[in-house]
Amino acid sequence: MTGTLLLQQVLNGLAIGSVYAIFALGYTLIFSVLRIINFTHGAIFTLGAYAAYALTGSQFGINGLLAGATFPIRLPFVVALIGGSIVAAVCGVVVERLAFRPLRARGADPLLSLVSSLGVAVALVNIAQYLFGAEPYSYPDPLAGYPSAINFGSANQPILVRTVQVVIFVVSMVMLALLTYLMNRTRTGKALRAVAEDLTTSSLLGIDTDRLILLTFVISGFLGGVTGTLIGLSVGIAGPYFGIAFGLKGLAVIVLGGLGDIPGAVVGGLVIGLAESFVPAHYIAYREAVPFALLFVVLLVRPQGLLGRAQVQKV
Amino acid sequence: MATFLATYDFLIVSMVLAAVLALTLYLPLMAGQLSVASPGFYALGGYVAAILSTKVFHPPAGLYPVSLVLVEMAVAAVLSGILGIAVGLPALRLRGIFLALATIAFVQILGVVALNLDVTGGAIGIFGIPQPFSSQMQYMWLALPLLLVSMVFVARLERTRTGRALIALREDEVAAAAMGVSPTYYKVLAFTASAVLAGAVGAVSAHFINTWNSRQGTFDTSVNLMAFVLVGGSRTFVGPVLGGLVLTALPEALRGIAGVGGLPPWFAAFLRDGRLIIFGLLIAIGTVFFPQGLITPDLLRRLGRGRRTPGA
Repeated sequence: MTGTLLLQQVLNGLAIGSVYAIFALGYTLIFSVLRIINFTHGAIFTLGAYAAYALTGSQFGINGLLAGATFPIRLPFVVALIGGSIVAAVCGVVVERLAFRPLRARGADPLLSLVSSLGVAVALVNIAQYLFGAEPYSYPDPLAGYPSAINFGSANQPILVRTVQVVIFVVSMVMLALLTYLMNRTRTGKALRAVAEDLTTSSLLGIDTDRLILLTFVISGFLGGVTGTLIGLSVGIAGPYFGIAFGLKGLAVIVLGGLGDIPGAVVGGLVIGLAESFVPAHYIAYREAVPFALLFVVLLVRPQGLLGRAQVQKV
Repeated sequence: MATFLATYDFLIVSMVLAAVLALTLYLPLMAGQLSVASPGFYALGGYVAAILSTKVFHPPAGLYPVSLVLVEMAVAAVLSGILGIAVGLPALRLRGIFLALATIAFVQILGVVALNLDVTGGAIGIFGIPQPFSSQMQYMWLALPLLLVSMVFVARLERTRTGRALIALREDEVAAAAMGVSPTYYKVLAFTASAVLAGAVGAVSAHFINTWNSRQGTFDTSVNLMAFVLVGGSRTFVGPVLGGLVLTALPEALRGIAGVGGLPPWFAAFLRDGRLIIFGLLIAIGTVFFPQGLITPDLLRRLGRGRRTPGA
């Protein structure tokens, strides 16, 4: 592999890896607070992508309940991205109320919330199918008029990266910076970290834990919506189920980084993005198995994740 | 009755096969292990039957011999069992959510491999799997005994030393280990039994649906099986069996209700096309309000007592 090709693969890997990272942060935030995995995250990703599609004023297809409908206003892509993510955040709140709060109130086994969230995920995905049909959609290209690729190399040794990859990387980094600021520099972030450290103690110390749990779902849903729209921009919305496969991949990312570990999720996302982009062309068909093979191996060798500390089983 | 059976023959056999598959999720759960690996073994079993019957065995013209289907089931069961031990030994050191994630990964990896190998027919899969029966209803000759045998097996298991060891592990692994129950041995045993059964069901299903590809035995199947067990009941084998039967019939039942006149058109349309929305919500509502499922050992005891002393 030549140097330029190597560099090109690294850039591609970082771009997709940064999306994996902010998607996985949605899982991680909730896990760090509640010790549960929110299986609706992939479905929320899908709904965010559809919502952003609607907000760009594009028409829906012929199969769903909303066949032929269009949103009356054509919003620019950036506004649609934010709007779609807000819709996703609202979905996050609904999910919290429907699938998690009732079980939490009873102190139920975390595995039960895994199953109830799977149920809500199935319902959400099929609501999407009911409303929008099963056909693929693609956004009106917000980058029309710009060159389709950017050259990071020299004229005779080009390192070409698709412009859309660059946009994705930049948006992901902005989200990551905002989240880092929120967690480390604000009172709310401090409270969130306290709740993640110990839910009961922080509630005794006067932190409104229910409000913060809700906030976690809002942030997580928002991140899900952003990634859904970014991936939709890159490869199109493949149909209502496209978030499920992505959602499962996100699980590989958080296990790799260590469940509930925020820097770990970022590292895990980048590692999986890079690992995928370095699959040799001859075995490209097996690329989809790479995150899961990593997940399986990491679980067996280092269940606490790459950066995590080993946990002692207490009796 | 005859027309009813003729119309719903596919559904009835599917219900029975789903009930057996539900038991494959229940077996590791008896030891408190949520493993969703059985769709992977189900897929493997299907491929074994599909490959053997289309490429290896060359049966005479006419109906495919049932004896060969039984051979395929045995081969599928043995191969699934071996893979089950190989995967179970390392994976069952994991607990709770980690085991669930590892088994999800296992199913995903098998799916990608099946999609890319030549012997499995790639994305197209394997077509024209020969039929041992002249009508679909006759698949009951295979499906029903499979269900009955596995029900008797699990019911007996619940009352033996092995079954009690599994339940002890579910209730408290540390205490059970202190009492001399080997967690690894019994967990791998339950996991492997589940793999063997799932492989055998896959072999029957491959003939039954006539074609096999990488869309069989995926994460979707895992979700369905979890619904069967958790809505039906996870504390007695009756729960998964009823869950598998009823929830497989549910979409058809909803379609039937939608066909009854007098409903507002939007509602009828929702029942027809929104079946899976209802299915998903049922899973969520079931786990929230009936954490042990609808059929619990308590309920069965009360029913049993009611039968013996009428009027009590």
